[in-house]
Amino acid sequence: MSTKQGFDLSFEASLENLHEVRDYIDQAGNSFGVDSDVLADLRLVVDEAVTNVILHGYQGRSGQVEVHMERDGDAVVILIRDQAGSFDASQVDTPHLDTALADRPFGGMGMFLIRKMTDEAEFRSLPGEGNELRIVKRQAFG
Amino acid sequence: MATLNIMVGQEQGNVAVTVLRVEGDIDAATHKALQDKGSEVIDEGTTNILLDLSDVHYMGSAGFRAIHAISNMLDHEETVGISKSKHLKLFNPSDEVSRVIKTLGFDSFLEIYRDRAEAINSF
Repeated sequence: MSTKQGFDLSFEASLENLHEVRDYIDQAGNSFGVDSDVLADLRLVVDEAVTNVILHGYQGRSGQVEVHMERDGDAVVILIRDQAGSFDASQVDTPHLDTALADRPFGGMGMFLIRKMTDEAEFRSLPGEGNELRIVKRQAFG
Repeated sequence: MATLNIMVGQEQGNVAVTVLRVEGDIDAATHKALQDKGSEVIDEGTTNILLDLSDVHYMGSAGFRAIHAISNMLDHEETVGISKSKHLKLFNPSDEVSRVIKTLGFDSFLEIYRDRAEAINSF
């Protein structure tokens, strides 16, 4: 039986709050005893996901973002929820990492990092409106 | 909100090199300041930039977008192909930032230095 502990943060969808979100991930992760490299990955992944919600979900409109983080056995599970329009992750282009910068289109790097640096990253539409991203990072405790 | 400080310095190696020393977190809220500073020094005639990342504690994809844009501004008249940029190089990223550089494949197209004199003289 696993013991679950959780932290919750709710904030206005503004890029100015990204620093606070990263600090929250650090504080919650440190309180769980998350490995420092894993915590760096989680900080990056959550920053990228919240940035996507702000820029591509709310697109400048006001709205709330909720981040829930919990320990589940040897894993860290993070839920990121918004009330923005429907998001289809399959429509995001994969960056051309083997292509020279001069020839490489912009975009797609955030989603690539989210998928690359997690063990699971699942998007789903919430009933009514909004989206949820569920991130799982296993073997998070060294 | 995180703040980003960018100090501009000039160094003379084999050629003139503009050093952009960045302090702070480079995220979606701050990356434009880096991109704008790069554009500003290029407009003023800079052709070689060493980006000093020693004091960058966090850099997400927005930071790489800014670096990508600066690289394109500097290399726009050359056919870069698969070679590394001759005009934009990185200095002393943290281990955390280095891991993201590698994950995004930027190490294949930008030289990364740990020794400042070596970096300046590499241009």
